[in-house]
Amino acid sequence: MLRRTLYWSSHYVLIGLYVLFALFPLFWLIKVALTPNDLLYSEGIRLWPSRTSLEHFRFVLAHSEFPLFFRNSLIVSSGTGVSVTLISGAGGYGLSRFSFRGKSLLVALMLITQMFPLVMLVAPMFRLLAPLGLTNSLTGLVIVYTTFNAPFATFLMQSFFDAIPKELEEAAMIDGATRFGAFRRIILPLTLPGIAATGGFVFTAAWSELLFALMLNSSSQASTFPVGLLSFVSKFSVDFGQMMAAGVLALIPACLFFLAIQRYLVRGLTAGAVKG
Amino acid sequence: MGPDHDQSETEPEVSAIGRRLATGAEPYLYTAPLLILIVVVMLVPLSVGLSYAFRDIQLLDPFSGGFVGFDHFRELEADRNFRAALLNTLIWTGASVALQFIFGLILALLLNREFPGRRLAQALVFLPWAVPTFLVGLDWAWLFNPVVGPLPGWLFALKITHDTNNLLAAPGTALIGPIVASIWWGIPFFAITNLAALQSIPKDLYEAASIDGASVFKQFRSITLPLLAPTLAITILLRTVWVANFADLIVVMTNGGPADSTQTVASYIFTVAFRRLDFGYASCIAAVLLILLFIYALAILSLRRLIMRRQS
Amino acid sequence: MRAALGLAATALGLSLSTLAQATTTLKLVEVITSPERTETLKNIVKTFEDANPDVRVEITSLPWGPSFEKLATMVAAGDTPDVVEMPDVWLALYANNGTLESLEPYLKTWQHTSELNQRTLQLGRVVRSTAYMLPYGFYLRALYYNKRLFAAAGVSAPPRTLDEFVAVSKKVSSLPGKYGYCLRGGAGGVNAWMMFGALASGSDVFFNADGSSTFTEAGWIKGFSTLANIYKSGLAPKDSVNWGYNDVIAGFYSGTCAMIENDPDALIAIAERMKPDEYGVAPWIKGPSGKSFPTIGYTGWSMFANSKHKDLAWKLIATLDGVPGNLVWNRRIGALPIYTAAVKDPLYADTRFKAWFDELTDPNVVPMVMPVDLRAWALFASSIVPRTSQSLLLGQITAPEMAQEWAQIMTKAKQSQK
Repeated sequence: MLRRTLYWSSHYVLIGLYVLFALFPLFWLIKVALTPNDLLYSEGIRLWPSRTSLEHFRFVLAHSEFPLFFRNSLIVSSGTGVSVTLISGAGGYGLSRFSFRGKSLLVALMLITQMFPLVMLVAPMFRLLAPLGLTNSLTGLVIVYTTFNAPFATFLMQSFFDAIPKELEEAAMIDGATRFGAFRRIILPLTLPGIAATGGFVFTAAWSELLFALMLNSSSQASTFPVGLLSFVSKFSVDFGQMMAAGVLALIPACLFFLAIQRYLVRGLTAGAVKG
Repeated sequence: MGPDHDQSETEPEVSAIGRRLATGAEPYLYTAPLLILIVVVMLVPLSVGLSYAFRDIQLLDPFSGGFVGFDHFRELEADRNFRAALLNTLIWTGASVALQFIFGLILALLLNREFPGRRLAQALVFLPWAVPTFLVGLDWAWLFNPVVGPLPGWLFALKITHDTNNLLAAPGTALIGPIVASIWWGIPFFAITNLAALQSIPKDLYEAASIDGASVFKQFRSITLPLLAPTLAITILLRTVWVANFADLIVVMTNGGPADSTQTVASYIFTVAFRRLDFGYASCIAAVLLILLFIYALAILSLRRLIMRRQS
Repeated sequence: MRAALGLAATALGLSLSTLAQATTTLKLVEVITSPERTETLKNIVKTFEDANPDVRVEITSLPWGPSFEKLATMVAAGDTPDVVEMPDVWLALYANNGTLESLEPYLKTWQHTSELNQRTLQLGRVVRSTAYMLPYGFYLRALYYNKRLFAAAGVSAPPRTLDEFVAVSKKVSSLPGKYGYCLRGGAGGVNAWMMFGALASGSDVFFNADGSSTFTEAGWIKGFSTLANIYKSGLAPKDSVNWGYNDVIAGFYSGTCAMIENDPDALIAIAERMKPDEYGVAPWIKGPSGKSFPTIGYTGWSMFANSKHKDLAWKLIATLDGVPGNLVWNRRIGALPIYTAAVKDPLYADTRFKAWFDELTDPNVVPMVMPVDLRAWALFASSIVPRTSQSLLLGQITAPEMAQEWAQIMTKAKQSQK
């Protein structure tokens, strides 16, 4: 009994520490966003300002094209999430179930694409996309982001598929189903947590990506919100309060999205089915 | 490697059928979109980028572009800044990935148990990943700032530091700031991937082991770790590669300083490309980094194959 | 997927409709962006569009932080605007490659050319004696000081000489948690090093006749070590070794350090956060030679050589830099005017600008132009200076060693740019 109490109390203490560690910097973001400019430095170290103000949030919403940036980020991130899930789901399944000529080459290529510093790819990529009209466009960003995220997503999906024995769909195929049908009806439901996790990663990666959003798109019509955040760091004004306010506003959808995915991860569907 | 079927009778039958069912074109159909996308959108610019390593490309000089062969590589060999940056990269990458991994795995293990409030705790601890990296850098830079952040005061009170100066301003401790920030940001990555993988391990394996009297540690070592190993290998590999190439946090928090003490290869490439405007030399450094990372990847993948072969 | 196709279709439709109207579109890029500046710019541009009904100006605002990389990437890929905001430190990089159009022919026939003060044309012509840009304003350094901290430390007046400066710093630094000087040890700190070096050496000459650098002269070295010692003896915050523009301004208005040398545009940020009785501005200090050398910087408008609408682009520049436009612009951004008559504008009669105008009229104050005409200057200022000066501040190298390294680089840059 003592052992169980000890175990569970240390369990809760550890979880508590993790939650504290994760939340404290976010709390600080909110705290700075709510601190009026004149108290920003004089009360810098305090855990909570003596007077809070919504002036930064008002400024961000009124003076920048934030709703537009938000909308653009949403379009790009959802587009990327969907296309990566489709392409990497198929690719991951293929890598998991088959061995074929060129498989190692494909894997090597995918790895290599992750290893080159993106900074050096900006110029050649700009030159590639500009004549196609894909610079200054959201579509261009979706294509670029999908390509960057696909290798990682594919590897991840592959490992989730690997955990499910081939026998499952082969049994279904003996009964007359097509491979794709078996894939859809049997394998997919089992790997839903994995797919959800991968989709979540890709969405957030696309949501917070800055380098290509900045370099490939110039007009505010095609800017995503990280680019919008940068406009608060101008040369002649240190508007940290506004920047933190903008950051807080932008985190809301990402957080909501994560909350939605939790349910899938927790369900733990795989545990039950594999037994059988 | 899977559930313990009674495979003695059905196995030969299934394998034969399996071979018949796997038609020739199928694998290519599944992997084609992926391949096309990668080749067209990434490999073409990548090859162009790599080719710059053999040419003299000055960004704003339209008349540059001549072929220089291995000149850049010779220059790299003698470059002291590069060697210093390489050392910093090893420290930066090693510390970041190792600590993210350890803390992330512990978190995944903690979350793998059902307990009241788990869903809430899970949602909260994964939040850091949703923050854009330069905002992470700014946030932590503020946290470490003695005038506006609480950390210097706390560290001093806890006797971890002997003054309330900014860690980021001293060459010996400056790298700690970006490392801590990257750990904060990166724990959710390992926690999520490991948790999803942990949840696909059948619970009855643990039950059987408990019945056999195996301790928690032994169960972890003989069940969890081996089954987790393939995912672990890939996530550690990819994370290392990303972190090695990742200059955002460092640039925002210390700009490579003070006195280049936090300059890593990735931020050095940026400096050469966009300050010296020498795209040729920058590409050369990037190519060398690519080779080093590729060797590392091969090592990890061989390890992974070894582990998987030992399992089956 | 459908959304993507929809977007593509809309884009196609829009571009077709613009063709049908036969309006000319000029592309204008601003690089020192802030919400207030963009708004002011849009207003000025509107007056241009009203005067030229079939011209539309497309403004692209680059965030300042990565603006250099962004513009360079765009230009390297051929995506160039017609008119661009050009800071002095970038000018040599673009002008020397034939990327920019010479404005000389337009200036010859422009009605306002004679009303410009002589500094404007002189500085616009630093590269190959050709006006590759038309400055819109000047940034001259002066000394901002914190009146409250001075009172608390028993300092009655701002320092006028180098020795007084060090003495005042010592007094303020004796207050717990306070420092005398907001040192800019990180990006952009080159101005301070040049100013202290010139002060101690009594001259703003960077190169000898043969193109060799003067940095290794005893005077310059003394200036460098004076500044380094200010940091090493604790007269500047320990953090400041990494401080950039935003940090020094924040250090000043948060009351952490009492003195900062900066341009009139810093007034905007400071005035928003400090009350008028809390701070003051004085002319920059003089050295042992009795002379002062505050650095002068400038930004302006340039035209790209591959612009397809050069005459229209010039008209846009003329509007931006014209008499009403330029004043409105400078009022917003806080730079010193390019027109001789502008000194009489009520904006500049404000007591806060007094320090700068005193500097401009004092014969012992020599505004120092840094060698921005050298192609290697941008790299030197943005990368080499921070790294080596930080090494000096941290005691890793000595002042003569740093001066030697700088001199080598500068000599090579000057002599290879004949």
